[in-house]
Amino acid sequence: MQLNHKKTPINIKAALTIATSALLGTLPVIANAADDTTTPAKAQQESSWDFESAFLYYSESDRVSAAEAVISAQKTFENEAVLNLKLTIDSLTGASATGAAAQPNVQTFTRPSGKGSYQTQAGKTPLDDTFKDTRVQLNAQWTQPLAENYTGSAGVHISKEYDYLSLGVNGNLAYDFNNKNSTFSVGLSYFQDTFTPEGGIPVAFASMPSAYDNDDEYGIDEESEDETVNSAGKTAFNATRRTDSDDKTTADIMFGFTQVINRRMITQFNYSYSKVDGYLSDPFKMLSLVNSEGIAQDYLYENRPDSRVKQSVFAQTKYHFEQNVIDISYRYMWDDWAIDSHTIDSRLRIPLSRNSYIEPHFRFYQQSAADFYQPFLAQSNAIPAFASADYRIGEMSAYTLGVKYGMKLSDGNDLSFRLEYYRQEPKSSGHQAPGALAEVDLYESVDAIIAQVSYSF
Amino acid sequence: MTKILPKLINTFAVLALLLCLLLVKNTQAMSIPETKLQQTLAEHRGQVVYLDFWASWCGPCRKSFPWMNDMQQKYRDQGFVIISVNLDADKTLATEFLLGNPANFLVIYDPEGDIAQQFNIQGMPSSLLIDKQGNVQQAHTGFFTHKVKLYETQLMALLAVK
Amino acid sequence: MKIFQVKKNYFNADLPLQIIKYSLLSAAIFLASGCSSLGVQPWERDLLAKEEMALTSSAIDSALDDHIYFSKEASSGGKGFGGGGCGCN
Repeated sequence: MQLNHKKTPINIKAALTIATSALLGTLPVIANAADDTTTPAKAQQESSWDFESAFLYYSESDRVSAAEAVISAQKTFENEAVLNLKLTIDSLTGASATGAAAQPNVQTFTRPSGKGSYQTQAGKTPLDDTFKDTRVQLNAQWTQPLAENYTGSAGVHISKEYDYLSLGVNGNLAYDFNNKNSTFSVGLSYFQDTFTPEGGIPVAFASMPSAYDNDDEYGIDEESEDETVNSAGKTAFNATRRTDSDDKTTADIMFGFTQVINRRMITQFNYSYSKVDGYLSDPFKMLSLVNSEGIAQDYLYENRPDSRVKQSVFAQTKYHFEQNVIDISYRYMWDDWAIDSHTIDSRLRIPLSRNSYIEPHFRFYQQSAADFYQPFLAQSNAIPAFASADYRIGEMSAYTLGVKYGMKLSDGNDLSFRLEYYRQEPKSSGHQAPGALAEVDLYESVDAIIAQVSYSF
Repeated sequence: MTKILPKLINTFAVLALLLCLLLVKNTQAMSIPETKLQQTLAEHRGQVVYLDFWASWCGPCRKSFPWMNDMQQKYRDQGFVIISVNLDADKTLATEFLLGNPANFLVIYDPEGDIAQQFNIQGMPSSLLIDKQGNVQQAHTGFFTHKVKLYETQLMALLAVK
Repeated sequence: MKIFQVKKNYFNADLPLQIIKYSLLSAAIFLASGCSSLGVQPWERDLLAKEEMALTSSAIDSALDDHIYFSKEASSGGKGFGGGGCGCN
């Protein structure tokens, strides 16, 4: 905990403290300091909120861009309990790959809403730029000592965007032993998500219908009684839709073990088990149905199983050299979709001066394809039970290279900047590409830049 | 067999050396900080002593300082004295801490942790209440603001004993 | 469940990753059995108390990254909770 030496009496921190307290229905203790006979400095230490804020910009070349802003407030109460509140707002724009394959000719696709269509040039990976969404998320987490060496924590999560609602709860119990050199912890979480995509949930493997309202390309005029609305087209569209909304539940359990090795080193090992049930397909994704020449004859909506069991083991070590601190972790994940992945993450924090540091970061990720992943469907084969061409469940390697610069300002607050380069390289998992498909890039790489500014006060 | 013998001899030699070092360590004379503490405790025999173990990196220690200053001021005349032991490996960090959190009581520097080892400290911060006869009567691990009334009651009880 | 089965269709970096995985596993077993002899005295936690030695040194960065990787990859989570730090109170 740092002592803050504020130069101006009225500042953002005070305003936010009052706002947060008002939200919780408690009066800020600062206002009552005059009545307190013990030292005002002591009262301030116990009642002050610590804030952290960050702004992140994520941008893929030619594809999705996202801007995210976070603010979190944390306070420690008299009984050692800690409350953490966090608000996140993010906004997504740009184009995402639909799973359809590139072709040697121009392709036309219907927007997910059914109102309007878009075209993809010859040789290009089909991207749908309908995705424009803003999401708001609230998290609250309460942590407190329960008994000697036992710490408990519980939290709630709520996240809402135009077509998606996510509600979650979590609980955690930690036990310290060996003079707090060892900690054993168990955590549980449960999430309930509801998806109400524009255009509804498609029937599995239904053919992508034609757009029924081409005059209203951006869906602005939804209640229009314009006679150009093609009611037969709309009926045909609705026939490919199963329902308006669907949901999924996620239940997780995690066991963790932390051990202090020596004065300079600490390690952690975790095992987690996760079960997801419900609608797990992506309503916006499809597969190209191609003939023996590799020419697309139709586009079919994807279908994924309605359950997924994931397990992972994770190990992390932090070591403090004379000046620098290194953080290395490894995670191995495997699931019943036949995906397994390896993640190696490493950071090296190098202090530049008493008040600043630089932290290079390298992350390597590799995953194998889901057993129902295929980059396209062949007409000559029967439609399988499950299929998806979403590269995010295909075979892929990804790496992140970044650097973070942090500094402590003269008023005791922290400011940091982070810049990272993230490259995803989807790979073939052995599917033969017939005819025209052999001439196009079915596994296009994705490059992204991540830039972030953080300020704690 | 002949290959193993030199290795075995080497291993035994190393083990014997380690054993000697261990014995030497245990029979060493008291370190300077331990001596200083013994002298100070002897000087304050007949008074109630609050022996506090702290370090600059310990958050609850920051909270305990204003309270300790209050207690020292309030009960000084009744024969109450606070003696603190600083356990920072780097003394400059302790000095910096004291600039922002002044201590109106004695600080003995124990960077090697000899005194902490002697008193078998279980956590940070730790405090011991020593009565007028020089016996440890209460030991607390951790400093909790919701327990300050209890801490005060305990030291008052020891002050009341003749 | 297949606990530690490795798929055959990896590229060349497979072996080093396997070595890392198994050595971490061995380290875990070794540590679990020798736990009580590892660690530091309560007053030797100066470095561990530093913010940069916390297992999650930046909760905000971690949450932002997790969100990105969860959206772009097939794996998520696995990282944990408590332990370490100054061990105070």
